[in-house]
Amino acid sequence: MKVPYEWVREFVDLRLTAAQAADRLVNAGVEVASVTPLAPDLKGVVVGEIEAVERELAEGHGGDKLFLCRVSTGRERYSVVCGAPNTRVGARAAFAPPGAVLPGGRRIATAKIHGVESQGMLCSERELGIGEEHEAGILLVDGARPGVDLIAALGLDDHVLEVEITPNRPDCLSVVGIARELAALTGARFRPPRVAPKESGEAARSLARVRIEAPDLCHRFTARVISGVTVGPAPARLRARLRAVGLRPISNVVDATNYVLWELGQPLHAYDAETVAEGTIVVRRARAGERFTTLDGQERTLDASMLLIADPRRAIGLAGVMGGANTEVTERTTRVLLESAWFAPASIRRTSRALGLRTDAAYRFERGADIEALVTASARAAALIAELAGGTIARGVVDAYPRKRKPLRVRLRMSRVKRVLGVAPPPAQARKILTGLGLPVKARGADLEVTVPSFRRDIAMEDDLVEEIIRVWGYHRIPSTLPGGAIALVTQPANLRQSQTVRQALVGAGLAEVITHAFSDPARAALFRRPTDPAPVALLNPLAQDASWLRTHPLEGVLGAVATNVRRQQPDVRVFEICKTYSHATSGAGATDKAGVSEPARTAAPGNSGVSEPARAALRPPSKQAGLTAPATTEPRWLAIALTGARGEPGWSGGQERADVYDAKGLAEHALEVLGVRATTGDAGALGGFEPDCHGSLVTEGGATIGEFGEVAAALRESLGIPSPVFAAVVSLDAAGAVVPAPIGYQALPRFPAVERDLAFVVGSDQTLTAARIESALREEAGPLLRRLELFDVFRFPDGRSSLAWRLLFQAEDRTLTDDEVNSIQERVIRRITETFHITLRSG
Amino acid sequence: MGHPRVDAIVQQAREAVAAAQSSSELEGVRVGFLGRQGALTQLLRSLGTLAPEERPLVGAAANEAKRELELLLEARLPATLEAERQAERRRRRLDLTLPGRRPPKGSLHPLTRVHDEIVTIFTGLGFSVAEGPEIETDYHNFEALNIPRDHPARDMQDTLYVSESTLLRTHTSPVQIRAMLAQKPPVRIIVPGKVYRRDVADMTHSPMFHQVEGLAVDRGITMADLKGTLELFAREMFGPRSRIRFRPSFFPFTEPSAEVDVLCFVCHGDGCRLCKQGGWLEILGSGMVHPQVLRNVGYDPEEVTGWAFGMGIERIAMLKYGIDDLRLFFENDLRFLEQFA
Repeated sequence: MKVPYEWVREFVDLRLTAAQAADRLVNAGVEVASVTPLAPDLKGVVVGEIEAVERELAEGHGGDKLFLCRVSTGRERYSVVCGAPNTRVGARAAFAPPGAVLPGGRRIATAKIHGVESQGMLCSERELGIGEEHEAGILLVDGARPGVDLIAALGLDDHVLEVEITPNRPDCLSVVGIARELAALTGARFRPPRVAPKESGEAARSLARVRIEAPDLCHRFTARVISGVTVGPAPARLRARLRAVGLRPISNVVDATNYVLWELGQPLHAYDAETVAEGTIVVRRARAGERFTTLDGQERTLDASMLLIADPRRAIGLAGVMGGANTEVTERTTRVLLESAWFAPASIRRTSRALGLRTDAAYRFERGADIEALVTASARAAALIAELAGGTIARGVVDAYPRKRKPLRVRLRMSRVKRVLGVAPPPAQARKILTGLGLPVKARGADLEVTVPSFRRDIAMEDDLVEEIIRVWGYHRIPSTLPGGAIALVTQPANLRQSQTVRQALVGAGLAEVITHAFSDPARAALFRRPTDPAPVALLNPLAQDASWLRTHPLEGVLGAVATNVRRQQPDVRVFEICKTYSHATSGAGATDKAGVSEPARTAAPGNSGVSEPARAALRPPSKQAGLTAPATTEPRWLAIALTGARGEPGWSGGQERADVYDAKGLAEHALEVLGVRATTGDAGALGGFEPDCHGSLVTEGGATIGEFGEVAAALRESLGIPSPVFAAVVSLDAAGAVVPAPIGYQALPRFPAVERDLAFVVGSDQTLTAARIESALREEAGPLLRRLELFDVFRFPDGRSSLAWRLLFQAEDRTLTDDEVNSIQERVIRRITETFHITLRSG
Repeated sequence: MGHPRVDAIVQQAREAVAAAQSSSELEGVRVGFLGRQGALTQLLRSLGTLAPEERPLVGAAANEAKRELELLLEARLPATLEAERQAERRRRRLDLTLPGRRPPKGSLHPLTRVHDEIVTIFTGLGFSVAEGPEIETDYHNFEALNIPRDHPARDMQDTLYVSESTLLRTHTSPVQIRAMLAQKPPVRIIVPGKVYRRDVADMTHSPMFHQVEGLAVDRGITMADLKGTLELFAREMFGPRSRIRFRPSFFPFTEPSAEVDVLCFVCHGDGCRLCKQGGWLEILGSGMVHPQVLRNVGYDPEEVTGWAFGMGIERIAMLKYGIDDLRLFFENDLRFLEQFA
């Protein structure tokens, strides 16, 4: 909210600069985003009086009439050519004599216009850079003394504080509110505006009636009537001030209500009283589907939760949000009905949001207006209307106040101040601070009792007063100590340690960790998902359609990172991410996860918050929240790896080989290994997004799928703009965390020598015969003396056959093995393998 | 002295040793005189053909000559070998400016680095780590934290909703509620995690970012303890000269509330570009846990007090590393990530 500092000073005796005042506010919790000078970029522009219109000149460019005027600045007289339609003798107007400078550095000099010398220029708002008005003519500054600097005459020799008021302090949403705050902070005298409207003639209640049919939503409604007004523009000075705070001047009557809104914080509305049927205001709920055209010309469809201001025939205003077009004050208006009311904050907020109609009035009502001060605001606005637009103020106020505010008393124990803050001012000082804030205080023994005034809706309990005291006394007075008490054993969720272990291993293996947004593009779902995948989590109000789901596939993030880098001329990418996917839990508990293994965190009962089992029940929302039948969601955790381009750091001595599927698999195996999880290769995985013929899984000893790996489906990667193959792996961290690693146990080192044998077999192009099958048969046949088995060479013949070579290490614990012994095992192994799989031993 | 037959051989051998240019020539000399077919060896072998009175004389002279020759060879060989090795190394010169062969270089994400640093500092202060779900109930994220529906405080955090009653948590504070519902005081936890706001990504906003929440509830906990703890944190995080300042603020779930600034560690308060001339950098929001929040979880605010704080990991990382655009964290450009290797 913009607050002109000189306006504030009308209500408080401050001897601070605007910047110093801003500092005080910031230190007391009123954020000030900026302090900026208000004056437009003008030099030498003054108030000039048009003493005479000497003669009419030939027509100007646009066919406008031009006049030669005599302009006086008190000391000097000038001959000035002017074509403004509002030029008239006796007018005082913005005048730029020769030598004056207008915005943009435009220097005014004596010039010839239609052969006539013009000594300077009478200026419009637009030419002065202080408004948009130009067609209506020159800026008139009635009442200002000729020769006075225009900036001073308009009250623009000022600074504007841009304050940011937190939602708890609606009382600061006004010039007077800020003045009151500054008075409390500095001890300066606060002078609230004195209002004594001159009333005469008929009583207001004979001209207007108010009926509140929804007292739950409107606790108070007042009306005043001002008769005999002449609607026209407000004076330049007032318009300049409204513009300075960001309001658009409209007419003297409307400007008066806006001026008071800004000054006192109470939203007001002026109706053309003649258009209000029977002079009767009815405050009622809208009917479902009722249509209403607001001041901005928009027709809006309402629902039954919305509050309307109506007359006996029709709606005339959207309560607390915006007035109606049908009762708007116009140039023809002669009698004004002035509304000053209090509406229930939540209702205003709902209405304003539902209609997408955010107004200054709604902003204040939804934070809470001052139900007692609205009468003062009404009187102030009535007086201002009468001053600016003439007319008489009817006697009295029509005041419907069905729900009287009950005064609230809050007890403050000084001992509580110390308990909360660790420090407390002397009671006398505390009392002085509260009194300074406008909070009436009474002593109650050692304690204080505060009667909360109606403008401080935020003060509802003792600790609110504790904050008021320390806020004014100064947060710098809080000492620094450390919490005492016994320190319990520090625990960390297993998740956290697990993630750290995996990260370290993969960073050590040369991968870069990425962190990506958890949003997902449904348009790509077909490429990532399989029909049997659990339902995705969609957002009700996404920022964009391509980010309207939450991540459904663990590879979405890393593939995005690969795409970004490839697009930026970095073709070699090796990245990993520790991430979550999100889905609605399927009804059959347990079989929720894609990999069919994990028991991931549930929103309704998180398993990963370091919370013990008996506490789980407590985590469900209390019964009053029973209406919240949120579908349970799961957030399984994953390690995702993606590789493309070179396998290692390309350099002068190698590293140029391309990464392939075995790199992806090996990294997943590495991650599992550091987590103490043993896994073997299983069947094709269950996740979408892989090439069907290059997609494997990793399986625990218990048979659970714990990870998947393979080549990313070409269609998927091409949709992401990645031209070369990408290899990827995922590991379910929930599944890995569920595996209890075998405890580390020492085994005695071998004392007898080992015997090494190499065996190579030639395998045909049969896809079903895998290295894993041969290896398992080999192990079984070789028996317990086989200490180590290592596939050390794979060679592909041009005809599609391959040679697989294993190194076998035999060793006994109790003796040195003889050649004969090993030979006989070897022969058995060869026979078993060649006969079982119909393959041959490679000779030579 | 020797014997004329021996002396002649010795003389020959001395000349041969002196003339030898390389270790292989020296070896040739050794073989030529001391080898199986060598001159001295032959001589010793032919002693039997000599007159008996000559045998001991020639034998002794030959043995002495053999020792002398061995010494001569020994004296020349190491230096010759060394000279040859040097020559060989000169020939196969290594260019040591060629880059070393390094293991592949990985990198931890900068947010992980800062996260780990924060967690280490607070676990050192006796805080346990807790976690909670990212898809939260409206109750835990808002209602229990004193932010009712239709309250303007909800504007402070624009929310992404999953359903009427579930949402992406807008802060890590709901874990305060979960943790307190799950245990009796004392509570001393930190909660790192992802949070979401309905903000379009720009230099300072992101629809997803990371927070660390801190919560301490016990008998006798005061705002002074909050200040002391955060001062310690600032010194660990930003260096021993760090200072902090508290500014009054508003959060619905704390009372009193404070924004916490750290003294700009570039200019130390004099004003610079980083702190926008203000001398201070805002790093987190904090305050004393609102009594109503304590009551919501079944704690008695007359019995225990507590404080909480929440900081953005991105904000800390941006300040610490001088990063000026929040989007860099989530673009994952390798040239950015590798700077944190």
